Amino acid sequence: MDSYFLMQIVNGLSAGMIYALIAIGFTLIFGVLNVVNFAHGEMYTIGAFAGLVCINSLHWPLALVIIVALAAGGVAGVVLEKVAFKPFRRFQDEASLKSRAMREATLLSSLAFSILIKEIIQHFFGAEMQTIPAGYLLNDPIKVGSLTFSTGQFLILGSSVVMLGGLQYVLFHTRIGLAIRAISNNPLGAKYVGLSVDKTIIATFAVGSMLGGAAGIMVGLYQGAIFPYMGYAPSLKAFVAMVMGGLSSIPGAVVCALILGVCESMATNFMTQGWSDMVAYSFLIITLIFFPQGIFGARRERV
Amino acid sequence: MNINAKNKIRSRIITLAVLILVLAVVPGILSVLGKSYYIQVANSALIFCILAASMNLITGTSGLLCLGHAAFFGIGAYAAALAATDLGLPFWVTLPLGGIAGGIAGILVALPTMRLISIYFSVATLGVGEIIHVTLLNWVSFTRGPMGVQIYEPITLFGHRFTSLLSVYYIIAVLACISIWIIWKLTNSYFGNALRSLREDDQCAEAMGINVVKLKIQAFGVSTFFAGIAGAILAHSVGYISPDSFQFSESILILAMVVVGGLGSLPGGLLGALLLILLPEVARGLGDFRMIAVGAVMFLSILLLPRGLFGETSAIDLARRQFNSAWNGRQMVGWK
Repeated sequence: MDSYFLMQIVNGLSAGMIYALIAIGFTLIFGVLNVVNFAHGEMYTIGAFAGLVCINSLHWPLALVIIVALAAGGVAGVVLEKVAFKPFRRFQDEASLKSRAMREATLLSSLAFSILIKEIIQHFFGAEMQTIPAGYLLNDPIKVGSLTFSTGQFLILGSSVVMLGGLQYVLFHTRIGLAIRAISNNPLGAKYVGLSVDKTIIATFAVGSMLGGAAGIMVGLYQGAIFPYMGYAPSLKAFVAMVMGGLSSIPGAVVCALILGVCESMATNFMTQGWSDMVAYSFLIITLIFFPQGIFGARRERV
Repeated sequence: MNINAKNKIRSRIITLAVLILVLAVVPGILSVLGKSYYIQVANSALIFCILAASMNLITGTSGLLCLGHAAFFGIGAYAAALAATDLGLPFWVTLPLGGIAGGIAGILVALPTMRLISIYFSVATLGVGEIIHVTLLNWVSFTRGPMGVQIYEPITLFGHRFTSLLSVYYIIAVLACISIWIIWKLTNSYFGNALRSLREDDQCAEAMGINVVKLKIQAFGVSTFFAGIAGAILAHSVGYISPDSFQFSESILILAMVVVGGLGSLPGGLLGALLLILLPEVARGLGDFRMIAVGAVMFLSILLLPRGLFGETSAIDLARRQFNSAWNGRQMVGWK
C-alpha cells in the first residue's frame, strides 16, 4: 500500500477520534434526556480556551493543561445543565415528558446558549485566531519507517483510547454509570425505583462535557489555532456521526466517527479542502433517507 | 348593512391607515430629515419579516422544525443575482425566478425527507443547509465563491430606474405586504387548518383522510418559495451577496424571531423579526453585544414566555382541555 495513503488513514483516524469524543457527549446526553444539546460544541471551545489561559498566563506543564481543560469542560457542562436545561424540566408529569413542545423548548434553549457562549468568548478574547506558544505545539515529526507522523496525532489517539476506556469503566462498573444506563433505558421506571434523575443528568453532562473539553484542547495543541467559532464544524461532524450511529449507541457513534474521519481525509486526495466538508453532510442525508434509525440503531442496547 | 359588517369595514380602514402611516409616511419623513441609515435598517427588517412569516408557516403552523431556512433564502438570492448579472434579466423576471428557485429546491429537499419525523427532519434540514452553503462557497466558476456576486444595475420596473433609497424601500414594503398577506391568507384557510392538525397530531390527521406527506411538501414548497422571494429582494436592494449571509447562524436568527414571537402566530413572528432586527440597532452603544442580545432574548423568551409573545398553541391547548372535561363529564385530574 502506498505510504501516503497510510498516512492519510492515520490523519483520518486522529480527526475521527476527535469527532468520536464529541459524539459520545452528544450520545450520552441524548440517551438520558432525549434532547439534542446544541451547545455541546461550545464545551469543546471552552476546553480549548481554558487550556489557552493556563498556557499563556500560568505556563503550566502539558499534562496539567489537559487536566484543566477536562475539568473546565465538566464544570461548563454542569453549569449549562443548571441554566439551560433544568428550568425546562419543571414539569415531571408524563404528559409533559412526552410532549414535543417541551423537547423543542429545550433544544431551542441550548441553541440560544450556544450563541451566548460563543459571543461571550468572542467578547473577551476577540474573534481572531489565538496562537499557541511554540513550546506547547504538538507537531514535531516522528519518523516510523518511511512514514512521518506528528506527536499530536499520537497524543490524540492515545489519550482518546484512555478516555474511552475510562468511560467504559464508569458506565459499566460504577453506580453512577448504572444510573445513567438505567435512565437512558427507561426514565420513568428508573425514577420509580428511586434513582435521582437530576443527579444522574448532572453526572451525564459532566462526563460528556469533559470528553468534549479535552478534545478541544488537544485539537488546539495539534493545529495551533484557537478561536471562538472552532466548535461549530467538529461538533456538526460529531452530530452526523451520532445520527449515523443511531442516536443512542456509543459504539455506533465511535465507529461512525472514525469512518467519517477516514473518509474525509481520503476525500482530500480527490477534491479540494472546501468540498471535503460535503462528505459528512452527504453521509448525513444518505443515512437519514436509507437508514432512518441509524446504521447501528435499533439492534443495540441504548448507551 | 348590519352592524357587524360596518365594524369589519371600519377595522379594515383603521388597519390600512396604520399600515400606510407606519410603512409610508414615517420613512418619508425620515428621508426628508436625512436619516437614510434608518431606512436601510427598515429594509432589512422587512426582508426578515418575510423570512419570519415563511418560517412561521413551516415551523409554527405545521410544526416541522427547520434548521436550514437561510439556505433557501440564499438560493433565491443567488438565482436572482446570477440571472440579473449573467443573463441581464430585469427585476420583474428575477424576483419570481428567485422564489421559484427557492421553492423547487425546497420541494426537492422535501421529497425524500418528509417521511422523517421530529428531530430527524430538523437534522436533515440542517445538513441540507450546510450542503448548500458549502456549494455556494466552493463552486467558484458558477457562484464566484467567497467573493460573492455584485449587481450594478438598480431595480428597474416599468421602464423606471429606482435609484433612491426611499423608492427601493417602498418597493420592498409593497412586496413584503403582498407576501405576508398571501401567507396570512394561507394560514387562515382550510390549508392552514390542515397544517395545524398535522402539528397537533399527524396520525390523527392521516386517519381523517388528510394526505400528510403531500400536505407537508406543499407547505415546505410555499415556505421556501417566499424565502427565495426574500432572497431575491435582498440581492437587488443591497446589490451584493456572499455566502456569509446564508449560514447556520442566519437560520438560527430566523428561528429565534419565530420563537420569540410565538410559534404558529404570524403577527408574533413579524413582531419577533422587528424586535430582533431593531433591538441591536437601538442598543448600538453596546457595540459587539449584538448577538449576545439575540441569544439572551431568545433564551429569556423561551424561559419566561414558552408560548412566545402571541403564542397560538396555548389557545388550542386551552380549548382542548375544555372540550376534554366536557366530553368526560368530570373535572380534570392533574398528574401532580
